[in-house]
Amino acid sequence: MLDNQQIFEAWLAGKITAAECEQQLRSDNQWYGRFLAAQNIRQDARAPMFDSVPDIDTSQLFRQQWGHKTAKTAWWPKLSVGMSAMALIISMSPLQLQLHGGGLALRWDNFDAAAQQQQFNTMLAGFQQQQQQYLQQQLQIQQQQQATQLVMLKDYLSENEQKARRSDMLELVEYLNQQRQADWQYWQDNAQPSQARLDYSSRSYLPNRTQPE
Amino acid sequence: MFKRSDESLINKALNGDERAWQQLVSRYQSVLYYYGLRLMGNPDDARDLLQDVCMVLCRNLAQFRGDSSFKTWLFGIANYRAMDMLRKRKPSQDLDDIPELYNEDEQSHEQQLYGAQTQKLVQQQLRTLPPEQRLVVELRFYQQFTFDEIADQLALSSNTVKSRFYAALDKLRVQLEVANVGQSANF
Repeated sequence: MLDNQQIFEAWLAGKITAAECEQQLRSDNQWYGRFLAAQNIRQDARAPMFDSVPDIDTSQLFRQQWGHKTAKTAWWPKLSVGMSAMALIISMSPLQLQLHGGGLALRWDNFDAAAQQQQFNTMLAGFQQQQQQYLQQQLQIQQQQQATQLVMLKDYLSENEQKARRSDMLELVEYLNQQRQADWQYWQDNAQPSQARLDYSSRSYLPNRTQPE
Repeated sequence: MFKRSDESLINKALNGDERAWQQLVSRYQSVLYYYGLRLMGNPDDARDLLQDVCMVLCRNLAQFRGDSSFKTWLFGIANYRAMDMLRKRKPSQDLDDIPELYNEDEQSHEQQLYGAQTQKLVQQQLRTLPPEQRLVVELRFYQQFTFDEIADQLALSSNTVKSRFYAALDKLRVQLEVANVGQSANF
């Protein structure tokens, strides 16, 4: 369990957020006040300053203090880089260093043009084969992807169609209900009173009914 | 772009490379100037402090051993010089005598954008703190040193640094509350 000072210092060190710190310190007036003051200062510290910084000339001071030491650059790194570059050039060029007849000989390698051409052709054929394999593989992947997409599209369309049908049916049922209701209303408003009148008039002419004399 | 480390620049400068020295100074020039501006409260003193620190730095560059970061070491020098300058000042300076850190007429639009009012209030309240407390607040918030690094720089225990820090916060808390009440009363 952390005490309030530890919570506050954890916030200062960026281990917890301001909201977390505020929530935990809110019950303690002293620490909450410190937190608010600290937040104000932090906000001020984050705001950029726009005052122009004066130029101060420290070069003379530096020359007086350290100028007598001329900038010395060591010779060995340059030599090392130079030797490495030379070794690289020799290894890449047809230049050959050979022990010949008890002495070292430096000579240009007389390379066989035909052998080189054959090597080149072999490499080219290998490359072509590799490319073809790659293209075939890509084609297969593409076909698989296309098939998957088609299945998904079919599913989507059929689902949509079902939805559309369902909504059409619903509309139809709703329409029929409305029609039924309208008919009922019409029957109540018009047909029922006429029927009632008809019934009444037919009853009044019944033969067994006693007519006033 | 490739940025040389402070240590590499120091080594080069110690071998007489003036460009490395200039690069090192320019890297910390603005940080030190703003530090001075906040601590001393006026541009002239801040400039003097910057020059003074650069001079001491140049003389003592060879003494940097890399036990701590260069910034920590540099601020060790800056703190010492700043405290020295503050002690040489008049012992009691009335609040009204303290010059404004920012002239309102010279304020740029950017400053206004960054809530200049609150910024100004905080800075005013910071300047009323005793120098030792102000320094700790400056190093903790504005330079983002840890309490241990500050303790190292000031040759104090970490607990002493913390007690100065919390004492400063308590004062600021009260002052900011009073100022906020005063401000809201004006509205």
